Amino acid sequence: MIYHRPQSIDEALALKSSLGQRARFIAGGTDLVVGIRKGRTTVDSFVDLSRVPGLAGLTRAGDTLRIGAACTHAQLEREGITALAQACETVGGPQIRNMGTLGGQVGTASPAGDVSVALIALDAVVELASVRGTRSMPLADFFVGPGRTSLEPDEMVLSVTVPTNRKSVFYKIGKRDAVAISVVVAAASVSPSGDVAVGLGCVAPVPFRPRKSEQMLRGHPLTSERIDAAAAMAASEVSPISDHRGGATYRRAMVETLTRRLLRTLADTPYEGLLSVAMSHS
Amino acid sequence: MSNIGRSVQREDVEGKVTGETRYGGDLRGPETLTAAVIRAAHPHAKILAIDLAPARAIEGVVAVLGREDIGGTNRHGLIKRDHPVFCDERVRYLGDALGMVIAETPEAAKRGVEAVRVQYEVLPVVATMRDAIAPDAPALHDFGNVLATQLIRKGDAAKSLAESDVVLTHTFAMQGVDHAFLDLEAGYAEMVEDVVTIHASGQWVHEERRLIALALGLALERVRIVQPATGGAFGGREDLSIQIYLGLAALTLGRPVRMQYTREESMIARHKRHPMEIEYTLGAKKDGTFTAAKVIIRSDEGAYASTGPAVLRKAVSHCTGPYRVPNVEADGVALFTNNCPTGAMRGFGACQLAIAYEGMVLAMARALGMDVVALKRKNLLRDGECLTTGQVVPVASAIDCLDAALARFGWADRAREAPSPTVRRGYGVSTFCFGVGYGDGYPDASRARVRFADDNVLEVYSGGVEVGQGLHSLLAQIAGEEFGIESSAVRVIASDTARTPESGSSSATRQTVFSGNAVKLAAGELHRQVMDAAAVMLGLHWEDLVIKGDRVVGVHHESVAAPLAWVLASARERGFLLDATAVYKPRTVAPVDDSGQSPRAFLTYMFGAHIAEVWVDIETGEARVKRIVAAHDVGKAINPREVAGQIEGGVAQGLGMALMEEVVTRNGRILNASFTDYIIPTILDVPTIDAVIVERVDLEGPYGARGVGEPPLIGAVPAVLAAISDAIGRPVHQTPATAERVWTIMQSPEPTLVTTWSLS
Repeated sequence: MIYHRPQSIDEALALKSSLGQRARFIAGGTDLVVGIRKGRTTVDSFVDLSRVPGLAGLTRAGDTLRIGAACTHAQLEREGITALAQACETVGGPQIRNMGTLGGQVGTASPAGDVSVALIALDAVVELASVRGTRSMPLADFFVGPGRTSLEPDEMVLSVTVPTNRKSVFYKIGKRDAVAISVVVAAASVSPSGDVAVGLGCVAPVPFRPRKSEQMLRGHPLTSERIDAAAAMAASEVSPISDHRGGATYRRAMVETLTRRLLRTLADTPYEGLLSVAMSHS
Repeated sequence: MSNIGRSVQREDVEGKVTGETRYGGDLRGPETLTAAVIRAAHPHAKILAIDLAPARAIEGVVAVLGREDIGGTNRHGLIKRDHPVFCDERVRYLGDALGMVIAETPEAAKRGVEAVRVQYEVLPVVATMRDAIAPDAPALHDFGNVLATQLIRKGDAAKSLAESDVVLTHTFAMQGVDHAFLDLEAGYAEMVEDVVTIHASGQWVHEERRLIALALGLALERVRIVQPATGGAFGGREDLSIQIYLGLAALTLGRPVRMQYTREESMIARHKRHPMEIEYTLGAKKDGTFTAAKVIIRSDEGAYASTGPAVLRKAVSHCTGPYRVPNVEADGVALFTNNCPTGAMRGFGACQLAIAYEGMVLAMARALGMDVVALKRKNLLRDGECLTTGQVVPVASAIDCLDAALARFGWADRAREAPSPTVRRGYGVSTFCFGVGYGDGYPDASRARVRFADDNVLEVYSGGVEVGQGLHSLLAQIAGEEFGIESSAVRVIASDTARTPESGSSSATRQTVFSGNAVKLAAGELHRQVMDAAAVMLGLHWEDLVIKGDRVVGVHHESVAAPLAWVLASARERGFLLDATAVYKPRTVAPVDDSGQSPRAFLTYMFGAHIAEVWVDIETGEARVKRIVAAHDVGKAINPREVAGQIEGGVAQGLGMALMEEVVTRNGRILNASFTDYIIPTILDVPTIDAVIVERVDLEGPYGARGVGEPPLIGAVPAVLAAISDAIGRPVHQTPATAERVWTIMQSPEPTLVTTWSLS
């Protein structure tokens, strides 16, 4: 096992390019190390990103926030983007949130990734880099299956950019109030022009956007009737499975319930008031 | 100043807080080897051949041991000796062991285990209790799949039910639960001369020694068990685990060996709480007076007996809880399956029955349109009345606990408004009872030795193990009390089979009464020895002398006095040992005939009452416990802070069982054998817990104490379920009440039930 500690993004990318598939980027290690211990992941060498300058930066430009891949969940709890903050607050416990990074969150591509669900609901864009250059794509398109992404073997997640001018909100159903993998998780946001985006977790092979439901809302005010119809549509778009965390029937029903609840909250809440919205009664 | 009733600081607190305490996993000797167990690959299969040779060829592997390396019976088990150390013909669950690898490193041991080749003939899996009683079910043991049956016959339940004004029948189902102690099975063994010395955490070192000696074919003197610091047990360390493998390895190789389970191995190998199905029929008169109960209990025993027969008896004997039910017909059956064996866990069968009888009481209150608290008052036993077993309880204090809990909760002023349009508030009240000790005539005794050591320090010797509950500190309080010595100045030597007398298990909520009494008796005897010596030295009759502070003084002549140290020195000069041993062995009585009745099934009974406030999201089914008041009659709280701690811990564990904990098993495989997937409460899930200590003197226990261990869990589960039920207007009769289950119950077409509350 070789442990590399590159001093720049370029050096990290060059290392990954030469070391290949079985070299893994590591930052917080909160998922990778667990996978290695359980024998799910085999790693020949690590490329440590935790001290690479410029990778943990938060950059505001206009109505966007660019989040460096090495930013921790704990940092993002404080950035004033409601759904993102609420999602980050529910991840693991304080120790995990202090270590786990955004790059690891999206790179893991868990269908139950709470923060990934919040990010796709914010219409986030992910930026990927390799020695060949950089490219960007909507985060929702980045996920291709459970644990699978569009990353090429020599690529890394460089950043995720989210708008700062959307109202957003998040809700998670877990089996307990901390350190719990979600049973169902949902987030939604609305842009100043009224475009609605919804993110759903644990109900499809990837963090999922119910496009038909979103389409139904496009260009219409968020009336109670329209919200109900869109929520029902979202429930028809998902493909949940039954496992030891929850049944498909419940998950599908909760997609409708949570979509309706989140959209109503967006409709009812003044633009500035969202950070203080108590979604959970806990 | 008295030690009794004082919240003294435990002797083990500082080490635990600073991290200096050494648990089983911290122990090592020179050049210590690592052992690992070879486990079954199928929940049910015939073993055709085991090839250990490939494991022996792995670099770093020192030895691979199998069935042929065991010299004794190769069997253990607390009631029946049916659990093989290493399976020879058949595996009956995935935790079954076939052998072990001992290596220079943990990694080599793991590779060795993976290299072992076993040929199986896979057999049909008995996955459920229904499978176990199917006509073509494979017999998992020589005598079939029925481990035990138990019953109660009292009065004429059938006739009484036919004559009752209201008769209700409900079905209940409880899940398998893991003990989830944080200190995984881990330990160390070495040969000290020819004695196998095993440092590992159990719950009854002397019984573990016997079981290991018999299974390995060793003389008892050649086995020594020493308990290290222990991070929780909850019944989960009653059955043997690593102790026997460690012993075999050290014995065979003559070298120090250590081992530690992973969380997954711990969950797969260790027994669980019994999943039960209960059909309960309760009859009542129009005025609410209970008339009769008919109860059928089915208990999933898993692959081996463990303590199953005793758990079943406790379930049956607690089937009507703290209520007066004149006619009872209860039948229990424990069935073998290929699931993880089930055995002792905090609550021991009484916990599952409390869910059932409290569910029935709530249902009856609704059917009668009565306030449930009033219905309880009408039917709760009073002092001197009989339990279902026919046993008279001199102190039946459920009613006292209920009153104390209602007062602390502020019941009359409780809020009723919904916290939000989608969230409803519910309240649940539970009342319950629990028999202390093994009971039913099973041999149950504690021994203790108390002496003044050569340095004049008061010493207590007890075989009782400290598993987190504060036993050793309590014994120091009691021993010191006899001499006016602070507990912190008492030296406790405990849980070492070579040095301490047998004190039974730390289970059955028994140590406060049993070892507490044994220490009190021994200390009393030592006190007599000291006073005799003082009488000779000071020339007064012993009755005219008393210990005050660090001196012995005349009762009527304060001028006659001597330092206690001088008295002890004088006693030694005259040849006294200043050493006393005592045994406390009270009588309980097995069922006297085939009715299951016993005049003293248990030594004494504990009563309690809980009130829970739960908020339920009626759209998602999520339930959050906002507050629990837990009142327990502990007789006398010898250390009130420790009693409150036990209550808080038991409530938290009960909340886990009520809402989230569940061993999910499919076809003999546990699907959630990790702390990622087996969900226990975190600090964010546990609300404010008000521990209310009720003290009605016990007739048996030291200073009137009765113990506390198990009942806090028992009370919390039905209180939380009743509160959810109150919030959603439907019965909740299945645990855990996850969001999905609660939501599913709400979708069912059954009409909404209305709880009638009065300001009682």
